[in-house]
Amino acid sequence: MKVSLSWLKRYVDIDVPVSELCDKMIMSGFEVESIEDLSKTMRNVVVGKITKIEKHPDADKLQICMIDVGEAEPLQIVTGADNVFEGALVPVAKHDSDLPNGVHIKKGKLRGVASAGMLCSGEELCLKEEDYKGAEVYGILILQGDWAPGTDMREVLGLMDTVIDFKITANRPDCLSVLGIAREAAVALKKEFRPPVPSYRTIGGDISEHIRVTVEDYDLCPRYYGRVVKNVRIGESPEWLKRCLKAAGMRPISNIVDITNFVMLETGQPMHAFDLAQVRGKEIIVRRARDGEPVTTLDGKQHQLTSEMLVIGDAEAPSCIAGVMGSADSEITENTKDIFFECAKFRRDSVRKTARALGMRTESSTRFEKGIDVINTEYAMERALSLIDELNAGDIIDGVIDKNTGLPAPREIRVEPARITELLGVDIPLSAMVDILNSLGIATEFSGTELCCQVPSFREDIEGRADLAEEVMRIYGYDHITATAMKGDIIRGRKDALRINHDRLKGVLTANGLREITTYSFVSGKAVDQIGLSEDDARRKTVKILNPLGEEYSNMRTQLVSSMLTVLSTNYNRKNARARLFEISKVYLPKALPITEQPVEQPEACIGIYGKEEDFYSLKGIVEAVFARFGITNLEYTRSAEPYLHPGRQATARMDGVPLATFGEVHPSVAENFDMEERVYLAELHLADLYRLAQTKVLYQPLPRFPAALRDITVTCDDDLPVAAVEKLIRTGAGKHLEKIELFDVYKGSQIAQGKKSVSFSIVLRAQDRTLTVEEADHDMNKILQTLAAEGITLR
Amino acid sequence: MEQLLEQIRKQAGEALDSCADLKELDELRIKYLGKKGELTAILKQMGGLSPEERPVMGQRANEVRAYIEEKIKSRMDELGKKALEMRLAQETIDITIPGRRQQMGGLHPLSIVTEDMISIFQSMGFDVVDGPEIETDYYNFEALNLPKDHPARDMQDTFYIAENILLRSQTSAAQVRVMETRKPPIRIICPGRVFRSDEVDATHSPVFHQMEGLVVDRGITMCDLKGVLEQFAHEVYGPETQVRFRPSFFPFTEPSVEVDVSCSACGGTGCKVCKGAGWIEILGAGMVHPNVLRCCGIDPEVYSGFAFGIGLDRITTTRYKISDIRLLFENDVRFLEQFQ
Repeated sequence: MKVSLSWLKRYVDIDVPVSELCDKMIMSGFEVESIEDLSKTMRNVVVGKITKIEKHPDADKLQICMIDVGEAEPLQIVTGADNVFEGALVPVAKHDSDLPNGVHIKKGKLRGVASAGMLCSGEELCLKEEDYKGAEVYGILILQGDWAPGTDMREVLGLMDTVIDFKITANRPDCLSVLGIAREAAVALKKEFRPPVPSYRTIGGDISEHIRVTVEDYDLCPRYYGRVVKNVRIGESPEWLKRCLKAAGMRPISNIVDITNFVMLETGQPMHAFDLAQVRGKEIIVRRARDGEPVTTLDGKQHQLTSEMLVIGDAEAPSCIAGVMGSADSEITENTKDIFFECAKFRRDSVRKTARALGMRTESSTRFEKGIDVINTEYAMERALSLIDELNAGDIIDGVIDKNTGLPAPREIRVEPARITELLGVDIPLSAMVDILNSLGIATEFSGTELCCQVPSFREDIEGRADLAEEVMRIYGYDHITATAMKGDIIRGRKDALRINHDRLKGVLTANGLREITTYSFVSGKAVDQIGLSEDDARRKTVKILNPLGEEYSNMRTQLVSSMLTVLSTNYNRKNARARLFEISKVYLPKALPITEQPVEQPEACIGIYGKEEDFYSLKGIVEAVFARFGITNLEYTRSAEPYLHPGRQATARMDGVPLATFGEVHPSVAENFDMEERVYLAELHLADLYRLAQTKVLYQPLPRFPAALRDITVTCDDDLPVAAVEKLIRTGAGKHLEKIELFDVYKGSQIAQGKKSVSFSIVLRAQDRTLTVEEADHDMNKILQTLAAEGITLR
Repeated sequence: MEQLLEQIRKQAGEALDSCADLKELDELRIKYLGKKGELTAILKQMGGLSPEERPVMGQRANEVRAYIEEKIKSRMDELGKKALEMRLAQETIDITIPGRRQQMGGLHPLSIVTEDMISIFQSMGFDVVDGPEIETDYYNFEALNLPKDHPARDMQDTFYIAENILLRSQTSAAQVRVMETRKPPIRIICPGRVFRSDEVDATHSPVFHQMEGLVVDRGITMCDLKGVLEQFAHEVYGPETQVRFRPSFFPFTEPSVEVDVSCSACGGTGCKVCKGAGWIEILGAGMVHPNVLRCCGIDPEVYSGFAFGIGLDRITTTRYKISDIRLLFENDVRFLEQFQ
C-alpha cells in the first residue's frame, strides 16, 4: 500500500523524520517495502519569469532571455525554443543543477553569449501530459498559475513529498487504506488521529425518482449502498487530489472517476460511478450472472460469465462485474450528466473466484478479496459526496439506497487482564492496556474484573483473548518480552527409528567415500522413458502435479535413479573425473489412480558412482559395507533384470527372500540417454525392508585363544560356475574347524584351458579349545578337496 | 706361548679397532674365537704344557679371550650404531610429496545444517518427528486456521495433486498431526522438505526445507518462546547475538512475530550484509492460535504453546555464504567436496 507522507499528514501530525516514522511502523507490525523521496528527482530547478527576449546576434535560431528567478540580478539564458514569450513562467535549471533524466546543468556560452543555465521542456523534467498540462508540447514548459519567481520546481510539481510503501499483512485489510495506516501511525507516534468529517450540501429531491435497486443475491452482496448526483460537472481534479492518486500509483482521469479512486485509497472501500443515462429502466439489479452471459469490461476485454459470478445489471444486461470491473457501457464520459454512486460489500471468496476465473486483478477486487468493512460503506459514500461538494462537481440528491439484511452489531469481548499477561509472560499495567486498545479504536473499559472491549467492524481479525494480547503487545513493545526458560523436566529430545537408521546409513556411506546429494522430489514425465522402464512397470504409475512449474517438474518420483543419473551426468559433462554419490529420499507411490488419498511415501536410497577406479565390484563393496553396518548377513545375490542396468552385470541382494538392494552397471543405452559415455554404476537400497531386518545390536565375541591354521588353495572349475557355488562346496566339505573363506584371485587366460577359470581362496581353520595339529588341518583340507573333486573341481 | 698369546691379543686388538663394518667384525670373531680360530688353536695346545704352566697359561688365554670378546662387543655396538645412522641417512625422503588419501565422503551442506539444528533443539528437549510431504488440505491449511478461500492462502502458491491433496507448503502441517496423537507436554521439531510453486532463481526454489518447532504445555508464555529462540540464536550465530521480535501475521499463531537477530557481520550497527538495518530476519514464530489448539482437541483455556518455522536453506546459504540456492540442488562434486 503506497501512501504519500503529505496524504498521511492530513490526518495525523507527523513531526518526526520519515525514517523514525518507518521504524515505529515496522515495530508495530507494518513492514516498509520502500521509501521514495520524490524531492530527490531534481535539484536547483526553479520557477523563472521571462522579463525580456532578444535575438542572438550570431544565431538565427537562438534567443537570449533575461529571467527573474527571485534573486537580486536576473539570469541571462540562451534558448533554442521559440514558444517562449515575455512574461511567461518557465522552469529554470540554474548553474549546477540536476534534472530527473540524470543530466547535470552548468553555465556556459552559446555561440559566444553567456548562458547561466537552461530553460526546461516537459520532457527534460520527465513529465507526461497527464502529469502537467502542456508537458508534451514541443518547446519549453510554460507553467500555469501564479508562482513567485524562484519557487522550487519540486513544489510546483508536488515533489516535496515522500511515498512510503507499506506491506499489509493479510489480517489487516483495513490498512489497505490511507486512513487505516494513519490510524496506526497516530498510535505508533502517540498522536491524535483526525479522520476527515464528511459534510456536504444537497439540492433536495428524492433518490427513488432516479433509481431503483434490487438485490437478488444477498449471500454474495450483504450490503448495497447508493446515492445520486445530478448535473455533474466533469472536469479535471485539482492538483492536490491528482498528486495523492499519482503517489499511490493511480492515473488521474476526471474528477468523478478520481473521487471514486481517491475514496477507495483513503477509506479502503471500492466505489463505482454509473452514468445514470446508461442505466436502462432506471433499475439496478444485483444478481448472479447467467451462464455464458457476455460482458465487455472497461479495459475493452470480452468475458463470458458463469452463474457463480455476481453482476450489477440494469433492466437488460450486466453493467458491472461486482467488485472487479465496470463495463464499457456504463462508463463515465465527458457527456455524463447524472450519476449513481455505488458503495457495496461483496463476499470476498466470490470476488476472489470471479477475479481468478476471469484473470483480472484490480485495486478494487484486491480489496474485496481481503475483506472490507460493511459499516464503512456508508462513511466512504459520505466522503465521496463531501468531495463532490468541495470540488463543486455536481448536485447531490437527497435520499439513500441501503440494501442489506441487517448490519452486524459491535462485538464485545470480555477478558480478564491476567489472561492476557499470562499468555505474554509480561506484566503490563492495566491502564496501558486500556489506553492502547482505545487508541486502536477498540473501545475498552475495565469493569473491575474484566476488560470489556467493543471491537469495531473494521477489525474482523480480532476474535478473542490472543488477538487482544497481540494488539496490546505490538504497541506496548515487543522489547518488553524477556527470555525465560520453559518450566518442566530436563530431558533430551529423541529421534525416531527412521532418522536413527538414516544417520547410520549416512555414516557408513560417507565412510566409504560417498558424498550426499539433494535433488527435487519431482521429475519429468519422460524420466521413466529415459531409464527404459517397460510399459507395464509399476513405477510408471506416478502422482502428477496438477499445476506444475513445467513438464520437467510435473511427476512425483517413483524412483531415485533418474535424478541420480542426471546429477552424475552433470558432473561427468563438467569433466569431473570421478564421483561417488548417494541420496536418501522418498519415493511417492500412488495407492490408486486417479489420486483419491495420500500416496505412500517410501524411503529409498540410491548410490551412483563412476570413475577410472570404479567397477561392479567396487559398487558391490559399498553395498556389502551397508549390509555389514546393519548387521545383515545371509545375503543371497542373484541376477536381476532392471531395464536400466547391464543385463550381465546386475544383481539383487536378498535376505530370506526379501530384496534389499539392486545394483549393477548402468545399461550403456541408458547412460547414453543421460549423455554419458563412461561406465556408470548404480545401486538402489530398499530402506524400509533393510531397516526392518537390521541387527544393529552388537555383542562382543571373545577373541580366539589358539592359533589358526592358514591354507591357500587354487582350484580350476568351469568358467560359468559362480564363485559363490565353489565357496558353498568348500563350506560343505570343511568340518567344524572352518572359520573363514576368502577369495583372493580369479584367473582366466593362456595358462588355463578354454572355458575354465582358476579360483584361489584363503581358508582359515581353527579349534576353540586347542591348537590344530598339522594332521588335523590336512585332514580338513582333504575333505574340502574331495568335495570339490566330486563336482569336477580340481586342485590346480 | 705367552708371547704368542700376547701377539694374538695385540693383532686382534688392532684388527678390531680398524675393522669397518659388522661383516668384517664377524670375520674377525671367527678368525680369533671360532672353532678353527687362532686363540682356539692355542688353547688346543694347552695339553702339551706342564701342570705348573697350565693354570697360568690357561688364565692368560682366558684373559686374552675376554679381552677380544669385550672388544668385539664394544665394536659391535659402535659399528651397529654407525650402520643404523647410515641407513637412516640413506632413507631420508621428500616429505613434501602429498600423502595417499582415501577419497573422503561427506554430507550435503543442508544435512549438516539440519543435523546441527536438530542437535540444538534435542538438547532443549525437543523430539524430532516427521510428517508426510504429500498432505491433505486439512492438515496443511484448514486445521491451521486457514479455511478455504482465506486471503492468507495467497501468501503461498501451492502445488496440488488432487482437489484436497497437495504438496505441503510448510512443515507446520505436521503440527496438527502431532497434537492429535500426543498429549501435552509437547515439545517437537519437524525438519523436512516443503514445496511452493516459485519459479527457480538465485533465491527461490520450488523445493526447499523448513524446520517447524512446537511446544504445548500449561503456562507456556511468549517469554518462553524468546528464551528458546535466544538459545538457538546463540548456538547458531554466536553468544553475543541479540534476538528481536517484530509483529507479523501467520494464521496459525496469535500473537505472531517475525524474529530478527542482530547482524553478526556488523554487530547491529548496520552494514552491507544486513542492508543497513543491523538486523537479519531469520524466522517466523508466535503463540499457537487458540483455534488450532481447539481443532486438535486441546483446551486453549488450559494449555498454551508456541510454534516457529525456520528456513533451513536460508541458514545454509548464509552460513556458507552460498550466493545461489540452485547450487544446493545441482550437486557438482567440486561444490559438495567443500563441506567437510
